[in-house]
Amino acid sequence: MASKKVNKKDVLKLLNQWRQQFAVFVPSRESGVATMARWEGKDTGFLDWYRNTVIPPKANFLPPMEEMFRFQKDKAGYRIELPPSDGGKQLIFGIRPCDARAMKILDMTFEEDYEDPYYLSRRNSAVLVGLGCNNPGDSCFCTSLGISPAESNDVDLMLTDIGDEFLVEPISATGKELIARSSGLKGANKADEARAKEAKETAYNKVTRKIDTNGITDKLLACFDDEKFWEKVAAKCISCGICTLLCPTCYCFDINDELVRQEGTRFRSLDSCAFPVYTKMPMENPRAEKWKRVRNKVCHKYAFYPMNFDVIACTGCGRCIRLCPVNWDITQTLESVPTKTKVGK
Amino acid sequence: MEQRLRNEARALLEQNKVDWIIGFEPGSLKFTTTPLITKDRNDAERLVINPFIANNLANFLIGIKGRVGIVVKGCDSRSIVSLIQDNKVARGDVVILGVSCTGVIDLSKIEKLAGKDRGELNDIIREGDKVIIKVNDQKKVVPANQVLFDHCLACELPTPREYDLLLGEPTPPLANPIAQEKIKELKQMVPEQRWGFWEKELSRCIRCYACRNVCPACFCQRCFVEETEPQWVFPAPRWQDNLIFQIIRNIHVAGRCTDCGECERACPVNIPLRSLTREMYDIVGELFQFKAGMDKDTPPLMTHYEEKEAEDFFR
Amino acid sequence: MTTTNISPSKFLAQDNVYLPHIAVIEKIIDETPNIRTFHFNFNDRKLQKEFSFESGQFGEYSVFGIGEAPFCISSSPTRRDHLEFTAQRVGRVTNALHRLGVGAEIGFRGPYGNSFPLDFLQGKNLVFIGGGIGLAPLRSLIWNVIDNRSKYKNIALIYGARTPADLCFKYDLDTWGKNKTVNMVVTVDKGDQNWTGRVGVVPKILEEAAPSAKNAVAIVCGPPIMIRFTFPVLTKLGFAPEQMLTTLEKRMKCGIGKCGRCNIGNIYVCRDGPVFSYAQIKNFVSSEY
Repeated sequence: MASKKVNKKDVLKLLNQWRQQFAVFVPSRESGVATMARWEGKDTGFLDWYRNTVIPPKANFLPPMEEMFRFQKDKAGYRIELPPSDGGKQLIFGIRPCDARAMKILDMTFEEDYEDPYYLSRRNSAVLVGLGCNNPGDSCFCTSLGISPAESNDVDLMLTDIGDEFLVEPISATGKELIARSSGLKGANKADEARAKEAKETAYNKVTRKIDTNGITDKLLACFDDEKFWEKVAAKCISCGICTLLCPTCYCFDINDELVRQEGTRFRSLDSCAFPVYTKMPMENPRAEKWKRVRNKVCHKYAFYPMNFDVIACTGCGRCIRLCPVNWDITQTLESVPTKTKVGK
Repeated sequence: MEQRLRNEARALLEQNKVDWIIGFEPGSLKFTTTPLITKDRNDAERLVINPFIANNLANFLIGIKGRVGIVVKGCDSRSIVSLIQDNKVARGDVVILGVSCTGVIDLSKIEKLAGKDRGELNDIIREGDKVIIKVNDQKKVVPANQVLFDHCLACELPTPREYDLLLGEPTPPLANPIAQEKIKELKQMVPEQRWGFWEKELSRCIRCYACRNVCPACFCQRCFVEETEPQWVFPAPRWQDNLIFQIIRNIHVAGRCTDCGECERACPVNIPLRSLTREMYDIVGELFQFKAGMDKDTPPLMTHYEEKEAEDFFR
Repeated sequence: MTTTNISPSKFLAQDNVYLPHIAVIEKIIDETPNIRTFHFNFNDRKLQKEFSFESGQFGEYSVFGIGEAPFCISSSPTRRDHLEFTAQRVGRVTNALHRLGVGAEIGFRGPYGNSFPLDFLQGKNLVFIGGGIGLAPLRSLIWNVIDNRSKYKNIALIYGARTPADLCFKYDLDTWGKNKTVNMVVTVDKGDQNWTGRVGVVPKILEEAAPSAKNAVAIVCGPPIMIRFTFPVLTKLGFAPEQMLTTLEKRMKCGIGKCGRCNIGNIYVCRDGPVFSYAQIKNFVSSEY
């Protein structure tokens, strides 16, 4: 299917059509904090200010807090019930290529072996409409991870800003089908596609923060036991959860029960390996020391996940760098990893 | 001033007067600084003093082993004094390199005024009571008190009282009423409105605990919020539980909070935490005529008993 | 040598891997002042009949409203009229578990994890080394082996606890002590006035017992400090790293390799373990354990 295009002023009509079938999420801002929130149906003013959200789109599939099931005790004993499903299919409008890739990275964990029903039911019914960056931020480094700020194969539709219009490229079968059902889109011509190509290249070249990920897994494993190195790396970290909770590829979660008399709920909520109590057991805590936790986080993303899934669990979105209260910067850490041959334990 | 600091820091390490130097160095983003924590005398050259030295470095005194030469602004020096009052830090273990502070610039206020993201600005320069924002060849001049952090505008002690070295000329407190605007608004609301306000704000909370972890007054080895037997606060980010966490944390730091504003600055989802902490600070001032971190020889408020206590169940 | 990998549990409630089955506690045994063994069975009769597991696997047990915690299945797959798990009272969930009585309902998810590699153990001399509550996973395997006695060669058991009151499964120790095909030594770190058995820490008793490493496999379970001192003794006795098995304990939540908590480097204890050989442990990315 050939590419289409839509005038920026007509995006409103497009979203209204999609709203009939989907719960449409668009970039929204509250108190200066950008998130993907349910579209009110009023306007598309977000197109003017949108760079990227603070809360990553993983929140739509792995929410900060969700009900797993409810339980109730009556004379016959306990009964377990799944929470009522909201049944809604989500359409996320404006997801950036880094975040879309992050969803693919998360899928690997939630599909493997046991299928996670909560994540997958939301994920499999969702439509991602990607929007390429015009203006990558100064903390972005997606290009170092094989991701382009303005292109994506991880979405269903990909939009590129070509002036007054967006080029609309169908990427997946779902995307093609959505376009076929939607009105208000025009055919794109060669000039449109050329403008899009230029916009994509411009965006790509605007990403100036770069790291060399060649052999990073082996480098990290080789210096894994270098306590002095990791102590230095971890010195200014304050062990809060900002980097991990707001990272689009982090997925660690906690499970807790709540009881009110004879009934209650089991909740799942996001957790962070940065917290000291994360690995705490009654008799010991393998990561009581901060440097071990920082080491685990960096190595999980750039060594362990690649060992298991062949992909670095980082998409260079830059949120961790931008929002860290002490400006701890993973790109600086990765660039400072020494090259050494592994010393025997 | 910067070079004097660097020389002093280097000398302190060379003469083995301290084991560590904690200060600020340029961050990895524009208009940012980041903590420098080092034992290496050669790192002293990296130290900077500029309008973006936001962190309260006193936070790093907890858990560090050895003597520390530490760079602090007025507010941070009060945190050190408060830690000395609490017996968590010995005066003899710190060399206080005080910086007389004219206020730290809040980048989000600059971004709002300039209508641009910080990455697109060329320069931000502080000149007296003005701040100049440069974008390409264009200049925008704004009054400094429109772009400084709220807690800087409310600052009562810009120049450290307790120090071993003082950099910069003593500065008078700004004590600008603009700083209290948010709190005034809240106080004018009726209880239902206020409840609705906090429900909205705390619904964004992700329980990252950055507010707690940047706070020098929060130094408990095991925080109440992590306790499971009993579980005081539900661990998931439900707004009611987030509110309980904030309320209890505020009560726990009452009398030791110096209104350094770090909690609000650290919050990634812009919850106006200072509206809670500053109000607690003012209540403590009103009830007990006490301000934390002003005098290292004054005993801490909550662990000290005066014969003439306000409440008569004490007599 | 690889430890057996069982394919994902087929026993899903309502097709949802996180939903527990409801089970009833049928019997409670006080092993020590703070350790209890619970005998339970599923409410669902069909599941009760069809449920199967291998020694070494664990389950996630729920006290509804309090939480969920992982414990190994301490009964043997060869004795299936009920299931058992053993828990020490140390935290929120275990305290709640210990407040439950016979007839109380709990939740069960599982079986999860890998298991002791019976194929590898067949035809070999088995040296079981246990400490304290570490006997619980071993016990499942010991009964499994005794019930299939002809498949294995010599069985030796060295088991110890801090004091006589801390010895678990005393009723099994009695039975095994009377079993002529089992060579057993029970020891305590510190005896009391009634104790007539051996006194000494398990690694020391192991060194004195000096079992032969020839055609042998050592299976070690106990507190981390005991394991740390046991491996060197076994090495000295000539056991190769592949001949030493153990179960690792890490804080677990989901039990299925998703929540991220139990990782050691790139492996998850709940999914790639909890049974590991020392050869595997030596190759772990991290000396975290």
